Amino acid sequence: MSIRTPLRPLARILDARNKGENPDAIERENLRLRHEDMRDKSRQRAEGRLLVLGLCFTVAFGTIGARMGFMANAEPAEPRSAAIGTPILAQRADIVDRNGRVLATNLITNALYAQPMQMIDPEHCADELVKIFPDLNRDRLIKDFTGTRKFLWIKKKLSPEQMQAVHDIGDPGLLFGPREMRLYPNGKLAAHILGGASFGREGVASAEVIGVAGVERAFDDYLRDPANADQPLQLSIDLTAQSTAREVLAGGMAIMGAKGATSILMDLHSGEVVSMVSLPDFDPNNRPRPLTAGHAADSPLFNRAVQGVYELGSTFKIFAAAQAMELGVAGPDTLIDTQPPFRWGKFSIGEFDGHSYGPTATLTKVIEVSSNVGTAHVAQMIGVERQQEFLKSLGFFEATPVELIEASTGKPLLPKNWSELSTLTISYGHGLSASPLHLATAYSSLLNGGTRVAPTLIKHSGPVEVGPRVVSQEVSALSRMMLRRVVTEGTASFGDVKGYSVAGKTGTADKPKENGGGYYDDKVIATFASVFPSNDPKYVLIVTLDEPQIMGAGQLRRTAGWTAVPVAAEIIHRVAPLLGLRPDIESASLDGVTLSASN
Amino acid sequence: MSYLEHNLKTVPTGLRKILYFNWGLALLLTAVASVGFIMLYSVAGGTLMPWSEPQMKRFAVGFVLMFFVGMVPIWFWRNIAGLAYIATFILLLVVEFFGDVGMGAQRWIDLGFMRLQPSELMKINVVMLIAAYYDWLDIKKVSRPLWVLIPVVIILLPTALVLKQPDLGTAILLLTGGAIVMFCAGVHWAYFAAVIASGVGLVSAVFASRGTTWQLIKDYQFRRIDTFLDPSMDPHDAGYHITQSKIALGSGGWSGKGFMQGTQSRLSFLPEKHTDFIFTTLAEEFGFIGCITLLVLYGLIILFCISSAIDNKNRFGALVTLGIASTFFLFYAVNMAMVMGLAPVVGVPLPLVSYGGSAMLVLMVAFGVVQSAHIHKPRGR
Repeated sequence: MSIRTPLRPLARILDARNKGENPDAIERENLRLRHEDMRDKSRQRAEGRLLVLGLCFTVAFGTIGARMGFMANAEPAEPRSAAIGTPILAQRADIVDRNGRVLATNLITNALYAQPMQMIDPEHCADELVKIFPDLNRDRLIKDFTGTRKFLWIKKKLSPEQMQAVHDIGDPGLLFGPREMRLYPNGKLAAHILGGASFGREGVASAEVIGVAGVERAFDDYLRDPANADQPLQLSIDLTAQSTAREVLAGGMAIMGAKGATSILMDLHSGEVVSMVSLPDFDPNNRPRPLTAGHAADSPLFNRAVQGVYELGSTFKIFAAAQAMELGVAGPDTLIDTQPPFRWGKFSIGEFDGHSYGPTATLTKVIEVSSNVGTAHVAQMIGVERQQEFLKSLGFFEATPVELIEASTGKPLLPKNWSELSTLTISYGHGLSASPLHLATAYSSLLNGGTRVAPTLIKHSGPVEVGPRVVSQEVSALSRMMLRRVVTEGTASFGDVKGYSVAGKTGTADKPKENGGGYYDDKVIATFASVFPSNDPKYVLIVTLDEPQIMGAGQLRRTAGWTAVPVAAEIIHRVAPLLGLRPDIESASLDGVTLSASN
Repeated sequence: MSYLEHNLKTVPTGLRKILYFNWGLALLLTAVASVGFIMLYSVAGGTLMPWSEPQMKRFAVGFVLMFFVGMVPIWFWRNIAGLAYIATFILLLVVEFFGDVGMGAQRWIDLGFMRLQPSELMKINVVMLIAAYYDWLDIKKVSRPLWVLIPVVIILLPTALVLKQPDLGTAILLLTGGAIVMFCAGVHWAYFAAVIASGVGLVSAVFASRGTTWQLIKDYQFRRIDTFLDPSMDPHDAGYHITQSKIALGSGGWSGKGFMQGTQSRLSFLPEKHTDFIFTTLAEEFGFIGCITLLVLYGLIILFCISSAIDNKNRFGALVTLGIASTFFLFYAVNMAMVMGLAPVVGVPLPLVSYGGSAMLVLMVAFGVVQSAHIHKPRGR
């Protein structure tokens, strides 16, 4: 820092005075110099600043220029537009039935989109498009094509004929994007099992296919994995059995004016579901939207076999009988008190339609005639805890573990407070709601020789793993014998199919009112749970009809014996041969025929 | 006796002003704008509508505006700088707080023939006011803390409002443009060093906080930063622009695919292809040569401004010229850096080339002020 020059240096002022000059001029001169000095300094600094700024600009220019050069020199990655028109691989794995017949596969199709910017004649395009797709709105299209939109989808899926027709319009503003589409060649068949798929993220060149329900959703990860593209998912379903069961069930439902119906055919040794039908159903190729109002169960998307939980009525009686035999508290011939009414506190248990089956009956007879009073007495002998334990071992306490995304929603409804009265009513199928699949699983476990099975939709490979024991071989056989008598002597007499020795138990439960407050007296859930052939059991078939009724022997009938049983019999009659079961010709038919050797 | 009055006698007056008009700068601006017309013609698929023609009209209006603004003496612009700043600030407040009443919560005000974005105007007004402030301020006081605080407030007030909109690009331009004028005015470098150091410190603190309990910004904000640093991580969503524009730049190569031959930008792969990302079209169709040409044109504009400012004895004129040149520089530097993936996508248009009315007209008025400073600088020593 230099020493500040004084504005009025004494020596110069004195000097000036001596010369007779104005000393103020010196001050002014010095002031001017100082000012200029300061201006110069700030100027210098400003120039320095400008230099720094210029340097910064130059560096920025250099960086941008260098980056440009680098990018221009980089391997030119072709724009994605080159991908248009190149086919995309059919990647999602197929789904096949147990014999390898296709249930779900892929189809290469095209989506149609428009780029109005490139369009030559929007009106002509709209006219022609409406001719090809009558569901499009001409005015709407013209508005879209002439407005500010630069891109719009017109159709998500085109048939080859439609694509050619659009191609023939010849407008460059109409463009196609390849799509891999999920196709269910069998339409509504097995709709609830397959579920369906839809597009996820969509681009011009391809779209993601994602499973939205059923096994498509449950096995989405497997199906999507490109590594599995040529390894189809093999289900336990038999396409022919599924088709037959659906046809018969749909017929029965129509004849009986039922609101819904479901059937499950299960291999009782492995738990494999051979056929599972829920009606009304839908076409997975064109999956309807879920209901926005009303009860989910009214939607065709609802899988009654898995999601629908119902009081399954007298079909439960065999569980009480089997447990009693297993515990040794009763045998097939033990006499049970069947005198109605059975009073419990202020409740009174009676028989269907005010019947009475006499003061006592054997356990076999109790099942055969389906006596509520008798079963309640048996349940009383078993007691609350042992009943809970047994039903739990049959799988009634959890949602079924079947491989459907919907399965977890089919959780059984158990009584909040499992009193002794609950035990009595549950023994004949009231107070506990479960899905038909629960029933199929429990019947399989009980009747296959007494080992627990888990329901599955995937075909087993290799020998069947034997599950934990539920009841002994003998009790299992005795249970089948009792159920056989229900068909030969009791409530399910329409269920006898010649040659297949059908055994089973009917169940007719009044439907509870939706908003509580008791039961309807004219709406029932009718169920027939059956097993065939009873001497060498192979399959369990459950048929459940929702609100059936039919004129029979001069009256309006709703009970399972008149509704579910004949439908089940027809299914067995048609399906058994398809499954390779040979009718067992009973010796009785040979009476009176003399065999002779013919030479 | 102010040197301004003294200089009055030496500046051109009347029609002679036209001779001193910086015709070179005007020519450069027209050249850059023409690049814009050509690119807009190309992205529209070879038609003047809907972008190229309106852009030409706007440029014509802007050019006339620049001429008349340039004819007005520079001290007029100095004197109204404060008023203009206040008026624009009020407009900013209006769109901020009453936007949903009158204007449907938008950033612009509808003037009938065009939509005015007050934030665009603010970029120039901040520069002008700070230049006027340093013109007025005694040089000795320039680096005193209290006197430094005033321009900082002038810059931060609108920046805060613009950030709230939120418009990160404009905020960056306001902040940096104002700071550059302060720097040119001679504010002590220690202030800038302190601000830069604390900025760096803040950023590293934010990154250091990641995943800890005292995390300073939200996870999604971190993801945006990640995407910026590596756009290929998320090519579908956030990184889409950058990935696509990089493909376009790369496929242009050295000499490009030729006029109207670009596929990437014309086939709607790039949204904003006619505004913020128009540079990709240029890169794809004219390649490295086209890009460098535009960059050189921009560089020449800056050079013309600096050379006009460097011998300008009028402090306001010099500062405002530098400030506007810097803002202009920031415009295209940020835009190009953004398109090339050197900076995050913040939404800054390519000046004079991108389609857009507000930015074009405001820039032309700003260059009018530069012209005014050039015409009215003291000469004839």
